[in-house]
Amino acid sequence: MDSILKVEGLSFKYSNSKEYAIRDISFEAKQGEILCVVGANGSGKSTICNALVGLIPHYIDGEREGTVKIFNENTAGLKMGELVTKIGLVFQNPFNQLSYTTSTVEQELAYGLGNIGVPRDEMVLRIQKIAKRMRIDKFLHKNPLELSGGQVQRVALGSSIVMDPDIIVLDECTSQLDPMGSEEIFDIIKDLNQDGKTIILVDHDMEKVARIADRVMVLHEGELAAIDTTKNIFGNLAMENYAIAVPDFTQIGLSLQDNHLYNGEPIMNEQEAIAAAKKVLYS
Amino acid sequence: MAKKSGTFYEPLDSPIERLDPITKFVAIFALGLSSVVFPSVFIGYVILLGLFFVAYKAKILKKFAKFIIGFAIPIMVMLFFIQGFYNPDNVTIIADLGFAQLGLEGILKMLNIVGSLLVFLGSFYITTKTTDTGRMVASFQRVGITGKAGYLILATLNVIPQMQKKVSVIQEAQNSRGLETSGSLKTRLKAIVPLIGPLIMGSLIDVQERGMTLEVRGFGMKGIKQTNFVQAEEAPVDKKIKRLFLIYFLLIIVASIIIRFNLI
Amino acid sequence: MKIEIKDLIHTYPTGDTALKGISTIIEGTEPVAIIGQNGSGKTTFVKHLNGILQPTGGDILINGESIKDKTTAQWSKQVGYVFQNPDDQLFLNTVKNELEFGPKRINMPAEEVDRNIAYAAELCKLQDSLEVHPFDLRQTEKKFCAIASIIAMDPDVIIFDEPTMGQDVEGSERLANIIDDLRNRGKLCITISHDMKFVVKEFSRIIVLCEGEILLDGDKYEVLSQPEILKKSFVTPPPVTRVSQQAGIQKPIFTVDALVHEIMKTRKKELSS
Repeated sequence: MDSILKVEGLSFKYSNSKEYAIRDISFEAKQGEILCVVGANGSGKSTICNALVGLIPHYIDGEREGTVKIFNENTAGLKMGELVTKIGLVFQNPFNQLSYTTSTVEQELAYGLGNIGVPRDEMVLRIQKIAKRMRIDKFLHKNPLELSGGQVQRVALGSSIVMDPDIIVLDECTSQLDPMGSEEIFDIIKDLNQDGKTIILVDHDMEKVARIADRVMVLHEGELAAIDTTKNIFGNLAMENYAIAVPDFTQIGLSLQDNHLYNGEPIMNEQEAIAAAKKVLYS
Repeated sequence: MAKKSGTFYEPLDSPIERLDPITKFVAIFALGLSSVVFPSVFIGYVILLGLFFVAYKAKILKKFAKFIIGFAIPIMVMLFFIQGFYNPDNVTIIADLGFAQLGLEGILKMLNIVGSLLVFLGSFYITTKTTDTGRMVASFQRVGITGKAGYLILATLNVIPQMQKKVSVIQEAQNSRGLETSGSLKTRLKAIVPLIGPLIMGSLIDVQERGMTLEVRGFGMKGIKQTNFVQAEEAPVDKKIKRLFLIYFLLIIVASIIIRFNLI
Repeated sequence: MKIEIKDLIHTYPTGDTALKGISTIIEGTEPVAIIGQNGSGKTTFVKHLNGILQPTGGDILINGESIKDKTTAQWSKQVGYVFQNPDDQLFLNTVKNELEFGPKRINMPAEEVDRNIAYAAELCKLQDSLEVHPFDLRQTEKKFCAIASIIAMDPDVIIFDEPTMGQDVEGSERLANIIDDLRNRGKLCITISHDMKFVVKEFSRIIVLCEGEILLDGDKYEVLSQPEILKKSFVTPPPVTRVSQQAGIQKPIFTVDALVHEIMKTRKKELSS
């Protein structure tokens, strides 16, 4: 697959800090993949997200080195308004992702489109399509402030997708939601990925990461510790060195393996774990 | 969970709500300024009476009355003391308390200030209560108020109810840390910093995050003509009302000049 | 410490009844987890335990005393409450001042204040950040500052609202350690959580709320052995429990080791028969 995003030697130091938050990060994202970024709190995950979408250096001050290229175009030369149609960002707090200048979900979805001058006819079409995708078509005419956290987060995701970016960066976008709300977001992310969007996802829930990711990137104290396929990362890497949990499903496989009861591929999801357990129990 | 709407605006489908937002802003300024320039204490209160009627038409009479009374009484009391006793223009003494004298000029000045304030705030209150935020943005853009200026006005308006909600959560959190927030005036005064502190710190964080949101929605885009989803067209009735307010304001100005300079 | 909840009803001024008659007794020091979907009434329920919300029906007795008899500030000596968002709580210029705030409000003697602050700071691993401005702490560290500020008040009961939200492995372990230590000191921890892995690891008793009523209430093994009832509350058992149950193991299992052990035991039985 082609590389859609290429990061080279990216470092950043916040203006109020003495130490670099990220140092010499280089990686590529392939078009249409789900790349998950994992690491302990403070390992630099959010800094990378902000640098990818251009908030660093356009909005957040500090010293930045290295390059970020999208479709081989260096984003340093682009303004925020030009970047928003290439790469989108959704972050943690749903309610801080509203524009506070609209009174309906529909208007909220249109907000970014208005900023970049999309004609009204096209807005209507895009909003209709996105609302269905985000499963928010039932409350298009409601005030976003009356919705639940999970619903607002879907509006936030929709506001980002409606700009039609090729890449979507999700920075712990489910951590403030309840299990149902978070599950819905993950379903939508999978749908979007099937539509061809490249997804870069930061999350603490390793079971979800293992289930959804094509590849995983591990950050440790601002540096890139490893980047590989999900199976290689969770199956082989000494995760405790990076203060990250191994998914329970994978652990079940590894433990069975230690007892010579399993010798297949690293286990990545619930179904595989159940199958492995059943095989030992009933055959 | 108890649900509050979290915004000022409530859709009630009234004739006032259907007016173009710009018409309402023209009204705010025409009425407010006229109560300031016209050399009579009573004009403000006459307009205020009119506003009560408008509030009735807008189906928000009760809330409007609550707002006006809740705001007017404390301000009147405060200004009564400041202006009534200490206005340097006080000549006509209407009551002598020994340590201070109550002057008629000061009282009139107080009534004048309060009247104008109430007209401004009252008409502004009706406008925000009856205007869909999205329509306000669209009509601002139509008349050329775009981007940052419009955003500031609207976001501030929309954030106030959010802050009110937040204050009640903060109060609960500080009560849980042993802070009394009700009771004597002294207790209440002592509680101000622990209540306002988290509000300000929290707002700083929110502002940072909301700023980031706006950036990734293309807020800073320059050199492109912005478009709007909400169509805010002016109706013929809006044009008429605006013209009426303009004529009214001109008449008030002329009348004020005539009266002030004794031209007749 | 004994908390008796007697037919607790709460109807909001809007007319929504969030709690429809809850009765249970929480006693001793075994930590209690309260779980359920958003809107099930969890937060409304725990907000009654220190009088933030007043019952609109029924009552709560804390060691025999009605919750209605004192203000939240007065209850704070006995019942601590850590809010979900630390930003609603913190406002002073150093972590140390934050830890002192509560104890001073409840007129704790000075030497006790110092002792409690030292304990709370060490337990929450804040001993090296006492002079830091809370605003400069990372969000997850702020949460520990908020927790320590309540622990420093030395209440008998501590309520946590979603403590593991946003925490990484280290943070979750630190929280587990805090809850263990508080139990050993005779404190009762009551926690709202969505994090089922954390719940089954740290808590012996689970109360499941659903639409303002108690759906299940009991020992974690008992509660999780009823997956069909749990489904009604949209609570999903933790990953290991799901695997074991779907693999046909009846009794609830919470750790990978226990699961593999059980698999081997069952297998031996099958092989020998």
